Amino acid sequence: MSSLELYSPTDLNDALRFIEHEDRNVAVIASGTDLLPRMRKRQVSPSVLLDISSFTQDLRYIRRSDGKIRLGALTTVTDLLESSLFGDELSMVREAATLFGAPQVRNVATVGGNICSAASSEDLIPVFMALDADLKLVSMNGERTVHLRDFIVGKRETAMRPSEILAEVSFGLPEGHGWTAYEKLGRRNMLILAIVNEALALTLEDDLQTIRSARVALNRVSGRIPAPATKTNDFLRGKRVSDETIAQAQRVLASELSLSNDFRASGAYRVEVAQVFLKRLIERCSRMIGGPT
Amino acid sequence: MTKRAVTVNVNGTEHPVQVDAPDRLIDVLRDELGLKSVKEGCSTGDCGICAVLVDGRLVNSCLMLAAQCDGRRVTTLEGLAEDPSMKRFQGTFIANNAAQCGFCTPAMLMASWDLARHNAEPSDEQVKVAISGILCRCTGYYQIIDSVRQGCRKERP
Repeated sequence: MSSLELYSPTDLNDALRFIEHEDRNVAVIASGTDLLPRMRKRQVSPSVLLDISSFTQDLRYIRRSDGKIRLGALTTVTDLLESSLFGDELSMVREAATLFGAPQVRNVATVGGNICSAASSEDLIPVFMALDADLKLVSMNGERTVHLRDFIVGKRETAMRPSEILAEVSFGLPEGHGWTAYEKLGRRNMLILAIVNEALALTLEDDLQTIRSARVALNRVSGRIPAPATKTNDFLRGKRVSDETIAQAQRVLASELSLSNDFRASGAYRVEVAQVFLKRLIERCSRMIGGPT
Repeated sequence: MTKRAVTVNVNGTEHPVQVDAPDRLIDVLRDELGLKSVKEGCSTGDCGICAVLVDGRLVNSCLMLAAQCDGRRVTTLEGLAEDPSMKRFQGTFIANNAAQCGFCTPAMLMASWDLARHNAEPSDEQVKVAISGILCRCTGYYQIIDSVRQGCRKERP
């Protein structure tokens, strides 16, 4: 029998005090939809589970203020689907939530858990990266803000310190003439981990022809780490939306992807899919903004 | 390892139970309370056969710790056996031969009942989404989809 312990703190301060002083291997558990299967497969063996699932008063919210959207870490994927904030230029969030797991998973799986899992198959990480999201990490020493793009440092490795808990994800709305879109490929439509998922936040200049900013992010750029496609993003800035631009951007994207084979797909196949998705994403966003299609 | 006392409302009755840290909701439902409509398939959230309602939301009971259900309201198929909406689905599933081995049927019925609360005229696509988290490996999904659509209608077809 395992010697697993479960600590159910009374509030966030209690939780932070606990992890500040706990030397054993602690895993924070929210819904457990990622952690419990991994424990069962013995991929992780924490000594203590710190259950934060009851902090819904403090950490489950969707707010819009000062041109920013703020999501409490315990916001569920179903909460995203039921929010009115993710239509129009932020519809990518709803697209990703729609393709996330299945209803039973969406009803409990949290935004914070998806980010902290930091796996290359997570549906929401490329979405929030394309939105250049910031994370608020809290500890007994106060709070700090980390860019999501700097937060994921390796396969299932994050920049979070052992004494910290993720409290909030925040991001700005695309400025001016902006739109977002998301594409996901798995072996089937539902309840499947992505082979490739790719998100784009695109803004055009007032001429509705020239790209003001493009932020593409994928579940894998190098190895198994979700990241923004920075070379592609740099290339696209200032270019006119055209078939030629898209074809060149596809080549840039292929050059910056460094993907290995695994049981889900070969690296070459992932690169091919990522290029096709890039074209679709640029065309979809441009069309919705009113630019060239 | 010390057990902790948890009180879970299951099908309308408060059940005080003693649980260990790794115990899952499905363990309490099947082993403590004898609710065998809740099946264990994959134990990893891939098959959805263990679906129950927690505070009115469909969840996989193999992916929820029992201790996290303290003070919460759980509904299994047993709790809906006499419910008029559930009786309609029982009828349509029988009429369409929507069960062969029957292992996925309790979860399919729970998902159907959940869908019917929000949608009286679901399309095939909406039904497919509603049952997308539950695997059937023998009947084929079309009899199930037909049964769900017919059962969602308030009037019998």
